[in-house]
Amino acid sequence: MQLPEPQVAVLNAASATEETPIDRLAAAAELEPEAATRAVFELRDEGLLEVAERETVEYEPTDEGRTYVDSGLPETRLYRAAVGAGAGASADEDAVSMGQVIGAADLAGDAVDIALANFGRKGYGNIDSGDLSVDPEADPEADPEADALAALVADEAVDTVDNEVLDRLVSRNLAARRDRTERSATLTDAGVTALMEGVETAETVDRLTPELLTSGEWEDVEFADYNVEADAPAVQGGTTHVLRQAAERVTDVLVGMGFQEMDGPHADADFWINDCLFMPQDHPARTHWDRFALDTPPIDDLPADLVDRVESAHREGVGADGDGYHSPWSEEFARAVALRGHTTSLSMRYLSGERVGDLDPPRRFFSVEKVYRNDTLDATHLLEFFQIEGWVMAEDLSVRDLMGTFVEFYEQFGITDIQFKPHYNPYTEPSFELFGRHPTTGELIEIGNSGMFRDEVLDPLGVDHDVMAWGLALERLAMLTTGTEDIRDLHGTLADLEFLRGAEVTY
Amino acid sequence: MPVVDIDPDELRDLTGHDEKSDDDLKDDLFGLGLEFEGETDDGLLRFEFGPDRLDRLSVEGVARSLRYQYGDDRGVRVPDTNDPDFTFVVDGDVPDERPYVTGAIVRGVDLDDAALESLIQLQEKLHATMGRKRAKGAIGIHDLLSIKGDTLSEDSDGNSITYTGVAPDGDTFVPLDSDRELTPAEVLHEHSTGRTYADLVADYDRAPAIYDELGLFSFPPVINGRRTEVSTDSRELLIELTGTDQWTIDRMCAIICYALSARGATIEDVEIAYEGGSDAGGRTLRRPDFEVRSKSVSHDRIETMLGVDLKARDVIDLFERSGLDAVVADGDAGDDEAESGDGDADTTYDVSIPPYRVDVLHPLDLVDDVGRAYGFDELEPRYPDVGTVGGRHERSRLEAVTRNVLTGLGFEDLLNFHMTSRGEVHDRMHVEPGADVLGGGDPVEITEPYSEDYTILRPWALPSLVMVLENNTHRAYPQDLAEVGFVAERDDSVNTRVAESRHVTGVLARTDATYEDAKARLQALCRSFGVKLETPPTAHPSFIDGRAASVVIDGEAVGVVGEIHPAVLVEHDLELPVAGFEFELSALGEE
Repeated sequence: MQLPEPQVAVLNAASATEETPIDRLAAAAELEPEAATRAVFELRDEGLLEVAERETVEYEPTDEGRTYVDSGLPETRLYRAAVGAGAGASADEDAVSMGQVIGAADLAGDAVDIALANFGRKGYGNIDSGDLSVDPEADPEADPEADALAALVADEAVDTVDNEVLDRLVSRNLAARRDRTERSATLTDAGVTALMEGVETAETVDRLTPELLTSGEWEDVEFADYNVEADAPAVQGGTTHVLRQAAERVTDVLVGMGFQEMDGPHADADFWINDCLFMPQDHPARTHWDRFALDTPPIDDLPADLVDRVESAHREGVGADGDGYHSPWSEEFARAVALRGHTTSLSMRYLSGERVGDLDPPRRFFSVEKVYRNDTLDATHLLEFFQIEGWVMAEDLSVRDLMGTFVEFYEQFGITDIQFKPHYNPYTEPSFELFGRHPTTGELIEIGNSGMFRDEVLDPLGVDHDVMAWGLALERLAMLTTGTEDIRDLHGTLADLEFLRGAEVTY
Repeated sequence: MPVVDIDPDELRDLTGHDEKSDDDLKDDLFGLGLEFEGETDDGLLRFEFGPDRLDRLSVEGVARSLRYQYGDDRGVRVPDTNDPDFTFVVDGDVPDERPYVTGAIVRGVDLDDAALESLIQLQEKLHATMGRKRAKGAIGIHDLLSIKGDTLSEDSDGNSITYTGVAPDGDTFVPLDSDRELTPAEVLHEHSTGRTYADLVADYDRAPAIYDELGLFSFPPVINGRRTEVSTDSRELLIELTGTDQWTIDRMCAIICYALSARGATIEDVEIAYEGGSDAGGRTLRRPDFEVRSKSVSHDRIETMLGVDLKARDVIDLFERSGLDAVVADGDAGDDEAESGDGDADTTYDVSIPPYRVDVLHPLDLVDDVGRAYGFDELEPRYPDVGTVGGRHERSRLEAVTRNVLTGLGFEDLLNFHMTSRGEVHDRMHVEPGADVLGGGDPVEITEPYSEDYTILRPWALPSLVMVLENNTHRAYPQDLAEVGFVAERDDSVNTRVAESRHVTGVLARTDATYEDAKARLQALCRSFGVKLETPPTAHPSFIDGRAASVVIDGEAVGVVGEIHPAVLVEHDLELPVAGFEFELSALGEE
């Protein structure tokens, strides 16, 4: 019979007639106790050993218990000090002052209470209004608690000691009790037979090594079983930021729908951010409360022709029947540089031809880029967030084309049943707020703003075709698709690494 | 977005639809784009709507829109006006900054509490929107019987009041909510409304003032006098508006007059006589301006925009249901065709627009009206039959692939704010502002920051990553973090004056982090991009001396790599070593 080495050693150490505790088997077999235990149970499973279990109770002195073996139990010290101070049995005549005795017994703190409580309990004497008398018959030298404690500290057997005494030591926190299961093994008949017939060591290995492979030795070895159900150590790989994953997903969808990505400055002239969009210069959203103005000088250069055309659109309107705004307009105001409040500034730069030259229809462009709003910072609003911006330019576009594009786009994210609510924007007409149903809650939520760019926007840019456009906060889409409740967990330096590491991937 | 508070009983009254429940009204108004927001403390219904239809800032305007929606009214309606009896004289002393005036006389008003409240609400909301907080236009409504026509103006054969400019410390009057005679200057200091609007006239040499025969009675745009205060007993009103733009105040005036007319009042014209040498000097205007404007819009544009085929008579019907009038323009296929009901590409409509429609700037605003009347939700979405080729920008592809390599190397990809503070990017990193090291550059400052935590654009990204480490000391280590992100510096040679770029930044926070760990990953990154990395020693105050190197890629110094200085770590409550790097993304490819 071939058995793994630990099993052979344990089998050889076991006896057919005497129950041998496992720790003794381990010592005899020169194995770690855990390895010996495992071998014992494996041998039992193979029917070669019988295992007996016995519950035993062990007591071990605590640190406090150990100190009292040398210095004496507090009540004993109190008794001796009282006797030394001349205390007798009579409460009236022989009593001594407690303070004096405690001092003489060298007791302090908790030890005083312990001493007094046990002094009374053991019948060493009486305590009455601060005076102490002793029972001369008492014999602290024959105290079973002290004896038992001394035996524990000396590591002697306490089998004969009364359980009540041991329990008292435990309750006084002078000793700790441990319930133990002691296992012993005996050879079964099959075990004896196996030994008589001869047991050989089968080689088992823990790890498959390059040497085993190259030498061919792997063919002769037995692989030790692992506990394949045990937890493995935690491993943390690098993950893509969950919001970035959402941005990449949106980018994938839009590229798939034929959109080209735009790129451009975060800090830009108000001209590109607002004036090109036909936002009057006295529009409330252009006040300093909403925008992040920068302390830099105004933009160096704007296309002069375009500036003239934009100014004219603001002042006079566009076309024979167009009206302007009756609002002040100055180029100086338009040149001021601020952080963009929307990426429509990029759309303006592209549509004007400033970015990649004049564009012929049809065209589709998009960006998923950061914008900045001087708004409240809370669980659903950030000062910086990602805006999905997109537009389509073609010869003829209708609001039906706009609706069809969004139905297609949002369907990719599981948002169906899009509703279009007529809306007002200074730069689009008609304009629509988009509402969609949350895929899990069924709630109707605003998911974007859209429209057909006005003639007053397109005409100055030199665009002679229809352009439909829309904007949407990426964070809103990400919160919808990931179920995040506080956007600040996602974005910024307050980000919780545990959250980012644990975020479920999306696809 | 503007809100309007509406008494549903008034709305039922003014529309003549007693049978409508509150819920019916809410549904009908949602169809007009007015969203129910809840009830006010006074039990009024509050609605929010887009800031285009400012004629709906009162219950009268909302009722008018509903009557068109219900089909009770069609086409343009203009109130009749009586001939003028009053002249508003604008004399040469009027402040140059606020030269324009308009107004009307309204007779036979019947103001109960609700009507008066509605009028005051409309006035305040017009101030807040078109009036740009009274800067562009301010409305004064007076009890006409308290005003005594000025007879000083000899060539006036009727009554008149005078809009002028006076010394701020000259004449006195008793303003509303006061019982003392105050000069305009005193109003600005001592009256709460005066203090609120003091900024509007702070730079004026002369205070705007309106006089009648009895003297000063209004100090626009700040406050009216108590003498002419309107109450529920008032039966005749004088309305005046002053402002910086004639068109704007004329439209505000029209909206007010329409509202009062809807309650049965009679509008009487006034003459505005501009004396003196201002732009308007010498002109005489008859107001209120109820001129019905006209714009042309082609049948083709309507069909193209809505994506549906329409008959001409249907288009005209839709215009009329929107409170507009439309006729097929002369010279087109003409009446025959209009009657036959077809519309072709050449058909053009002349559309009449009532004076309260301040939102119509262009014919396409009329197309929007047709669409709303038709019902945008009747339109079937269709995917545009237009083929284009999609693709990403080079910079975005470069960023994405760099992030990909970094996460492959075990870095957690981060996304930090671009706004931060000088304390974070300089002081706490032990970098002297202006030092000639990475991160020492002059940051762009935000002039009116939201909070002191966000006052600049970050000139480098390493401080953001160290802050994330600082905020996550309770989380499991190692913490290997990276960001490919935006940084910016002041640079007057750039058109926008802001040099924007992307940096690649990584940190390794672990009990045994060393320079070698950071360089090993930097090497791997450079190998992926096929660029040559050299790391000559350098000194950087955020890193340990002798353990920092310049990141030189293909011969150009583009960043720094090293072990972060213990002083910086302790500053951020970090109790283990951190190695890191930061360099320009453009070193890896075309940005």
